[in-house]
Amino acid sequence: MKKFLALLLAAVLSVSLLTGCGDENKGGTGGGNSSTTPNASGTESNDTNTGLDMSKTIKMGILVSDATSAEALAFRNYYTEYIQEHYNVELIYSDELTDAAGETSAIDTFITNNCQVIISFSSFDRAAQIQQCEDAGVYYAVATGTLTEEEYETYKTYEHYIGAIGPSLDVEFETGYNMAKHYLDQGKTNFAIFGGAIPYYTEMHIYRAAGMLTAMVEAGGEGANYKGATDKMSIIGQIFADGEVTTGEIGNINISGYVGGYDMDDAWFGKCAQMAQTPGLEVILAVGNGSDFFGTAAAGTDVLIASVDAYASSYGEAMEAGMLDYLAGKFSASIGPIFIASYRAALGSPIRTSEGNALALSQGYWIATSAEEFNTYYAVDSSVDSPAYTKELLDTLLTADYAAFEKFVSQYSFEEIQKMK
Amino acid sequence: MKTKGMEIFKRIVKIAVIPAGTLLLVFLLCSANGVKLFETEGNWILFFRATASVMLTTFALSLNLNSGRFDFSIGSIALLSSVISASICTSKGLPSAAMLVISIVAGAVLGLLSGGIYVIVKLPPIIVSLGVALFYEGLAFAVTNGYGVSFVANKELTSFPSVLHYALVILGGLFFFIFVFDYTQFGYDYKALLSGQKVSVNMGIKEIPNAVGCYVIAGALMGVVGFISATNTGTIQMALNFGSIGVMFTAFLPMFIGGFIGRFCNEKIGYLLGAVTTAFISLMYARLNVDSSIQQIVTALILVVFLIYLNNENKVIELVMLKKHLKKKTK
Repeated sequence: MKKFLALLLAAVLSVSLLTGCGDENKGGTGGGNSSTTPNASGTESNDTNTGLDMSKTIKMGILVSDATSAEALAFRNYYTEYIQEHYNVELIYSDELTDAAGETSAIDTFITNNCQVIISFSSFDRAAQIQQCEDAGVYYAVATGTLTEEEYETYKTYEHYIGAIGPSLDVEFETGYNMAKHYLDQGKTNFAIFGGAIPYYTEMHIYRAAGMLTAMVEAGGEGANYKGATDKMSIIGQIFADGEVTTGEIGNINISGYVGGYDMDDAWFGKCAQMAQTPGLEVILAVGNGSDFFGTAAAGTDVLIASVDAYASSYGEAMEAGMLDYLAGKFSASIGPIFIASYRAALGSPIRTSEGNALALSQGYWIATSAEEFNTYYAVDSSVDSPAYTKELLDTLLTADYAAFEKFVSQYSFEEIQKMK
Repeated sequence: MKTKGMEIFKRIVKIAVIPAGTLLLVFLLCSANGVKLFETEGNWILFFRATASVMLTTFALSLNLNSGRFDFSIGSIALLSSVISASICTSKGLPSAAMLVISIVAGAVLGLLSGGIYVIVKLPPIIVSLGVALFYEGLAFAVTNGYGVSFVANKELTSFPSVLHYALVILGGLFFFIFVFDYTQFGYDYKALLSGQKVSVNMGIKEIPNAVGCYVIAGALMGVVGFISATNTGTIQMALNFGSIGVMFTAFLPMFIGGFIGRFCNEKIGYLLGAVTTAFISLMYARLNVDSSIQQIVTALILVVFLIYLNNENKVIELVMLKKHLKKKTK
């Protein structure tokens, strides 16, 4: 009887772990590493055009620290529903990682599983990940985001470090800057800022907020400054020092509210509602998702909300309802080029810079300022038949030299990509 | 007569001392910072929402915990029941009242399943509830393809938050809980099992249906908590790998406070006052924009200090009595 009970409990736990993997076509998450079945329809087994032997299934491990955000789900969808369907690869996803020890353990599991490449969406300890993969002779790539200059200098010559493609910190700064400028140009003067992961010292959020503040300093008139700081680097330094954005006046621009973190408790939601209902407030600038946290509280007011995230249907609804006014969204196919770089490395044709170093290429966001614009972008971004980067486009990178590869990545705007098709 | 009146007064003081003392403290802290504790309607809504949500979670947690059943799955029940109700209501265009009812029913069914697994496998409830929590979190993730549910644009469903609605939820929940556990056979059996399981079973009380009943009620209460949380923002964020367990921890402080106050009145009233106390603290955090790390430290300190007091209460009383005695002697 005890055996039966133990088995039953094991079954319940197993089902729960498997259920966390999403639907049957969507790879796994939630518990244990999960792989998706390769289906390389349309894949050339030994392509005479590329000269690459693509007959063997390449196993790739994907490290993820977030399995539930719109951005993470869109990325996952693109890899499992499109890339895996068109290339001879098997993608094995990690658990939702929560710390550096988890990353080390997941990489060990991937290596035991004979993964030839590890693509990482997790950044608790990039340096340790790169070193671990180099020591094990396994290729490693950063899926979205970039290394710091110091880190890049250290690891750029590592044989198994493929590189990073994604919004650099400069792009993150510009994203915040452009968002704030969009409203400053309209004459708005009363802002609130949602700082997302600034309290946890997440660089990309700090840079986005710094971009917003820099735009305000520029528009604030003579002598305008943020706590004495007037230029990009000193503003970034000030946010790092404080771990938050301080409310107050920047010349004739007013920051009347600030909320940071993702506590999701009563006090936190209270702070969000309080900020959204600040008298005289015109715009909420969010370094992350804004409409989900402030949309309801701001409903019925004239407060405009601007967010940085990905293209998800809920944002479309929020835009239609007037709860979201501006979205800087990552497009899901933006992780296509790093896949090709990883695939080439596994096939024995790694791509390096002209100096023989790892890749460090920057990409930006698609900006939607109306529901129509959003719907146009979303239709392409969510398509599993014809996403932004189709197989035909990505295949051109299989034999591209560094210059061509770099040029391809730099043309990331919606219009540029459509032109390439 | 005078003595009786004095006793009643003393009892009222003991019942009110923690919530009133907390209110006074947060009021003074806010005043010192030039902030009004209750300035806008939003502040009142936050206070009533926190009270309703924490009170129901405390009921749900204490229900099984007092019987030695540690239930980690209550947060996942709140999550999954709200996913079910929100999905149905957004697709069918149903109003918030329907969402509340569906949440309660879904929560009760999920509680029944959780309790059913516990009584069938007869493993320690802590293990079973962890498995169930993972299962429900995974199910919610699978049902929504990981995206959760968003209905920020649905004005009907997001119109629920108001002082009146939350006050009705508080009163309804309190009366229901008092009625079931103080005025029904189920409640008498529950109390008998609490005081002595073996004796009660020998007397003919059926422990298994009672335990399952407790899980069903706890599930229904968490269904309401899930509903409150979902309609507050119009979004339901997914949680994996025990991410839903955090909800349970919001109920510990009010449960201990409620237990203390329960010595002087009905324990359920004590839980309500415990929830009111934590709602005052939450409101103060929001009004003073207290950093989350400081919030966690303060909340943990309050909990630890309170537990230290409860565990050493006799010694504290003895110390006070001794001091009084010595003072008298020196006079």
